[in-house]
Amino acid sequence: MEKITFAGVEINRISFSRLFFRKTMLLAYALLAIAVFGIYEIFDLRYFSLVTNAHDAGLNPTDPAMKAAMKQAIFGTVGEIDKTQPWTILIANYMYMIYTGSGVIFLVALAEMMKFNLVAKAAAGFMVAGIAMIFAGLFTIATDLNMLNMHWMLLTPNFNSAMWLMLPLYCIYIPFVLFEIYLILTNNRAWAKRLAMPILILSLGVDLVEYYIQAKLFSMNTARHLWTEFPALTFYFIISAFVSSLGVMGINSFLVHREKPEYESLMDLIRRSMLFFVFILGLYEIIGYMTVDKDWAFLILFGPFSYLYFVGYIFLTLALPFLFIVKPGKPIFTVLASICVLIGGFVGRYLFVYGGNANPMSNRFGTGYERYDYYSITKAFNYMTPHLGEILVVIGSIGVAIMIYKLFDSLFSVGDLREHH
Amino acid sequence: MNYAMALDYQNCINCKACEVACKEENGVQLGAEKQRIWVGMVEGTIFGKPFANIYPSQCNHCLDAPCVSVCPTKASHYVLGGIVKVNAKQCILCKGCLEACPYDARFIDDTKVAVDKCTFCDHRFAETGTTACQATCPTKVRTFGDLDEENSDLVVLLKTRRFFFQKESIGTLPKLFYLLPEDEAYAKQSVAHSTNIYTWKDIKPLYDQARNKRSKEWRR
Repeated sequence: MEKITFAGVEINRISFSRLFFRKTMLLAYALLAIAVFGIYEIFDLRYFSLVTNAHDAGLNPTDPAMKAAMKQAIFGTVGEIDKTQPWTILIANYMYMIYTGSGVIFLVALAEMMKFNLVAKAAAGFMVAGIAMIFAGLFTIATDLNMLNMHWMLLTPNFNSAMWLMLPLYCIYIPFVLFEIYLILTNNRAWAKRLAMPILILSLGVDLVEYYIQAKLFSMNTARHLWTEFPALTFYFIISAFVSSLGVMGINSFLVHREKPEYESLMDLIRRSMLFFVFILGLYEIIGYMTVDKDWAFLILFGPFSYLYFVGYIFLTLALPFLFIVKPGKPIFTVLASICVLIGGFVGRYLFVYGGNANPMSNRFGTGYERYDYYSITKAFNYMTPHLGEILVVIGSIGVAIMIYKLFDSLFSVGDLREHH
Repeated sequence: MNYAMALDYQNCINCKACEVACKEENGVQLGAEKQRIWVGMVEGTIFGKPFANIYPSQCNHCLDAPCVSVCPTKASHYVLGGIVKVNAKQCILCKGCLEACPYDARFIDDTKVAVDKCTFCDHRFAETGTTACQATCPTKVRTFGDLDEENSDLVVLLKTRRFFFQKESIGTLPKLFYLLPEDEAYAKQSVAHSTNIYTWKDIKPLYDQARNKRSKEWRR
């Protein structure tokens, strides 16, 4: 393919239609259309739900819409956000995408430093996949927030707030990773290797700061039990992210490199790494549940989330992948394990956000667990099924990741294995 | 000025007139979860004898409020008198304050598409000198006032009674003073052994110090 060189980077001379209307891009657009519909649903719920207050009730007592709103207030649930479960599947997806994406980047930077040449050859593609996931995570969180008021983040910033910590971090991290990709694309391996360490530290920084922010928010709230009492939770976040990151790398390798001679060795390397991290995660789960408050552990293990926990998380993230990859075999087993850990990893994050609230939700004095004993109403916890709009945004966020990756690949051939010079 | 409220909860008869008055006065969205103030009930038994304690509650307008510090846009802020308020126009629905509030005193008001909470009825106390919940309470559970005014009803009451705070250990310096019941049996069933009981003399220097430190942030 004809190429143009700009600032040392070879850019594919590609037609507009081939850039934007390839099959993969069409798939991404379809997913994005789902996301747009999801955003519409969220806005509809946020701004056009039937809601009323006592003043309306006094002024328009016979208004049919007001009556319907009152009925909804008494017998139904009102509005987009339930106070007992303010953070839902969008937060789960944000955490999943950010941690997995930064995990991919971390592992590639680590492989660069540890001289795993095979990974170094595929580094550009993996890093773009990682950064695409980070953008998908940011897209998800943007839909969760009220975008119409976002300008206040800049007009009246509270730099001491935990949320503001993330912005400078992303502002440093994302350009750093993009610069690393630039160095790889321009075959500047020596500098790419030098930059690997800062990226390694920044990737860890993203994970640690992200955890700190959420833990800081939750730490005041005793109802959010999982967040405040689970031991060494930061490590859980990071290790589980590595497992799903290797899943992304496995699937990326299958889709991009399967016709290449290095494919089998690359998949074997991913298999061995995944086996290591699945083992560590399994150990963490066992030790974690032995040391955490037994009442809470029993609630997660045998309470309303047990099915999701055992089938959705333990089986898909640990047991099944372990069986697929424990013995060296055909790369397809690593691909199957990758699919499992990707789904299981998301279930893990979902459980984490929802399960964190699995003991009685309200922290209001006299209305939550303090009404009775600490754990005595464990069967009656509130679980809010995510709204359709939220589910559609989560599905659509995959489109964001695919679109970004494909655009990079079409322009810079990041899917190629690059030899060292 | 440092506004606060004392709650003589032994007098509460759970009529919930305060909840209704608050919704009416402030135009709070209708719905069971949409409350600026609420009356909580703790049930239990002591040696087989059942009891029910009633605790009216609301935002504690903490002097060191975590909801204010987590807000990325300063939508949650202090106003004069140390009242914690939310500017609905600046709220980006990050829901951080909902999670951070130790008292679970915030909710989303869907009529404003923003977080909402108790304001100590600051729009009306210049005129009436009190809040809607205090004005409507038939058993005088609530006493609203200024901690800096030595002769206010609130300070006079606090000088004569002992009191405690909810979740005091979190260190947010809450400003809802729960008065220790004068009835010994009610005090025993409604106050945990671990709860610290204070007098006005004990607490005043600490609250004065915190007020001096934070009052620079209090907007007019």
